[in-house]
Amino acid sequence: MVKLRARCIVVGDSAVGKSALSQMFRSDGAHFQRNYSMTAGVELLVKSVNIPDSSDSVELFIFDSAGKETFAEPCEKLWGQPSVLCLVFDLTSEASFRNCGRWLERVRTNSQGQQVPGVLVGNKSDLSSRREVEKAVAQNWAQSQGLEYHETSAKETENCEAPFVSLAQAFYSMYQDRIQVIHSLA
Amino acid sequence: MIDAALSSSGTQIVLASSSDENYPPENILNGNTETFWISTGMFPQEVIVRFRSLVKIALVTMHSYNVKTLKIEKNTLNDTLEFEPVAEKEFECTEGHLQTNSFSLPGTGVTHLRFIITAGYDHFVSVHRVTVDGAQE
Ligand SMILES: Nc1nc2c(ncn2[C@@H]2O[C@H](COP(=O)(O)OP(=O)(O)O)[C@@H](O)[C@H]2O)c(=O)[nH]1
Ligand SMILES: [Mg+2]
Repeated sequence: MVKLRARCIVVGDSAVGKSALSQMFRSDGAHFQRNYSMTAGVELLVKSVNIPDSSDSVELFIFDSAGKETFAEPCEKLWGQPSVLCLVFDLTSEASFRNCGRWLERVRTNSQGQQVPGVLVGNKSDLSSRREVEKAVAQNWAQSQGLEYHETSAKETENCEAPFVSLAQAFYSMYQDRIQVIHSLA
Repeated sequence: MIDAALSSSGTQIVLASSSDENYPPENILNGNTETFWISTGMFPQEVIVRFRSLVKIALVTMHSYNVKTLKIEKNTLNDTLEFEPVAEKEFECTEGHLQTNSFSLPGTGVTHLRFIITAGYDHFVSVHRVTVDGAQE
């Protein structure tokens, strides 16, 4: 039995629903890792995800910035050394989708060549009459960037678990992978 | 000179920030680099080692994989409430083989050593062995 810990950063334009989506994952009685330093203006949400067909789990430490996100602002401090990435845009805002490339580039620059499993989330699926980004377009771009694509509605709590479960599973697979590599060294 | 970090000399792990029961922190003290302790995600990570009695250290060596920065702290107390820094180092990335790094700490007396890994070259880092050359009282 093992409990992994992943630092999950939620990134994207302001007002796309990052906080709303993260809040869906709030869990009470979150146990805080000893020695863990926190940045001011940051909310931490902790959620444990069980890995199917095992007694293992991944604890996601979701860091949500309290303020507005702009490209000018240095959010790298908040990101730390990210384990997994949740990149969010608003399905009713073409501009927020176009900016995803810039956000991704910024995270990759900051992660120093480390592999960071990620998902792309199109949020606000409840506002279907105002949709500006087609599912196929978002899906294609996500695939080209090695991200798994999910559509959610934080308002209607529709599909909100899926992106985080998929991140937990990707992190868990990476752990098993690395153990094999380390065994092969000895 | 003895290797004071062997569990056979009565040395114990009193805290580890990660635990996968298949890769327990005791693997660091068994004298074998084929077995290891692995961190299970996020940094910092730490391990605290307690010696049976005060040890006058000469050299501390760590065999590891993908550790980027390591801080070593010590104390001479019976508990682990307070530590003082003794060394800090950025390790080189060694793809495909273990990292071996030594710290010369001549004459440092300790009852506990605390190893804090503040960053890694990967999400998961492993520590295979720690040796402490020194004289035990
Ligand atoms: N209709 C709808 N509104 C949403 C949804 N998610 C968030 N919102 C609204 O969008 C606004 C911005 O949300 P927030 O979570 O603060 O965005 P953030 O700046 O990315 O953290 C708020 O008014 C939310 O109520 C959703 O799925 N559907
Ligand atoms: Mg927010």
